[in-house]
Amino acid sequence: MASPITTWDGAAEYFTFAHSPILLNGILIAAVAFVVFAVIYDAAHETGAYKKVTNPK
Amino acid sequence: MEQQIADLVAKVAALEKSSGMIGTIDLEIYYFWATAFMMLIHAGFLAYEMGASRAKNVLASGIKNILAFAFVVPTFYFFGWWIYLAFPNGFVPSADGDAGLPWAMAMGPNLSDNATGVFWAAFTLFAATTASIMSGAVIERIKVYGFVILAILLGSVAWILVCSWGWHPSGWMLKSYGFHDFGCAGIVHVVAGFFTLGVLINLGPRIGKFNADGTANDLPGHNIPMVLIGLMLIIVGFFGFLAACVILNAGGQWTNIYGQPMTLSSVGFNCLMGFSGGLIGAWVMTRDPFWMMSGGLAGIISAAGGMDIWYPPLAFIVAAFGGLTIKPFYDMLTKFGIDDAVGAVAVHGWGGVVGVVSVGLLASGYPGPADAPGISLVGQIVGVAVCMAVGFIPGYVCSLILNVFGSLRVPDEVQLMGLDQAKVPVHAYPESGKAPAATVPAE
Repeated sequence: MASPITTWDGAAEYFTFAHSPILLNGILIAAVAFVVFAVIYDAAHETGAYKKVTNPK
Repeated sequence: MEQQIADLVAKVAALEKSSGMIGTIDLEIYYFWATAFMMLIHAGFLAYEMGASRAKNVLASGIKNILAFAFVVPTFYFFGWWIYLAFPNGFVPSADGDAGLPWAMAMGPNLSDNATGVFWAAFTLFAATTASIMSGAVIERIKVYGFVILAILLGSVAWILVCSWGWHPSGWMLKSYGFHDFGCAGIVHVVAGFFTLGVLINLGPRIGKFNADGTANDLPGHNIPMVLIGLMLIIVGFFGFLAACVILNAGGQWTNIYGQPMTLSSVGFNCLMGFSGGLIGAWVMTRDPFWMMSGGLAGIISAAGGMDIWYPPLAFIVAAFGGLTIKPFYDMLTKFGIDDAVGAVAVHGWGGVVGVVSVGLLASGYPGPADAPGISLVGQIVGVAVCMAVGFIPGYVCSLILNVFGSLRVPDEVQLMGLDQAKVPVHAYPESGKAPAATVPAE
């Protein structure tokens, strides 16, 4: 169950998986990892693109 | 009779509850739409930066600009907000920061906390603005991934640390020195401007900017009207930015971030007077529409530190001084071999210095909040020095490291060909054929 609540009466934090610290941390780590991956992926893309210009052979 | 009194008490209680909820929702609405207005700053920076680029680099500049925003948002969520809440005392984090950790219950939809999300969003737009300030200065020769790392360092670490020190009700710059910076002249603009200066020193100029004898060439952007529209959009966005600098207190008077009472009207007076003063100052100095519009922005920044307290004609004069002096400051940097493609260091760095120091020179004596000293020249000078240092040092050191590892500067051959042709899969102006080749004199 993604929902941390079973009723809206008295609900406070109601975002998905708010009741599961393990899942929250897993999702957070995945988000951080994607940001890091995106930077590394761009570094590879840019390096390759520039190499085609500076060293076309 | 007793029943009537009981009914009346119940009605008053219901009315109080309803009134409280209306105040809470007012707060959400106010900061939500201030944030939406601030998005115009980024629309403006995008147009400004692309227009200031030569046609061969226009899309690469646009991509870089948008990515600054894209990467600052999640990283500010991951650790930026925590830094703001945790470090008002210096470098040792306090437990107050726990509410800003990304796994805190306040950091997501929560029916018992209407405020955190809209405050976080407003601060995130401030953060993205700092990164976008750097973005324009480094166009046409910086590697995107190196730039993204620098943008994260500036937008999600450096400025927000100073913000915690000098733009927080418990910040040490306020508590010890009475630092006053209503509209973030130092906290955002000085930090971003001097961070940018540190990066520019290591990045070096665009090919063709300087001749062998050290004289500078003009490398005009491909679309000056787009630059002017972009700057006007930034100005519109600054009304949202400055509105978000005011604290809405349901049922009470507005305050600034330090808790001193103020009116939103003061921003109405002084933002417009500052804009006009800067515009006229730069127009008198240059007759150049690019610098005139930049002067309008510099005018707002120059008046921002004391925008809650200035007599409007004084805001006009302070802003006019900022507008008059940005071009000479830019020329001085150029003589030192700094290629700042859009004058960001002059407009934001120098404009911000004017904004902070002018408060010390012309507004000393205002009482501080309950447990902090009042405004003083010494406090403002200490504050601006801190902003300059926390901007310049990480910008210089990080860009130096990136440069050592070949992660900062685009190879010369690629600069000559144009970044769009090297790495962007679409053309900016397809009916004109491929991106034009370089045509600057020194090439």
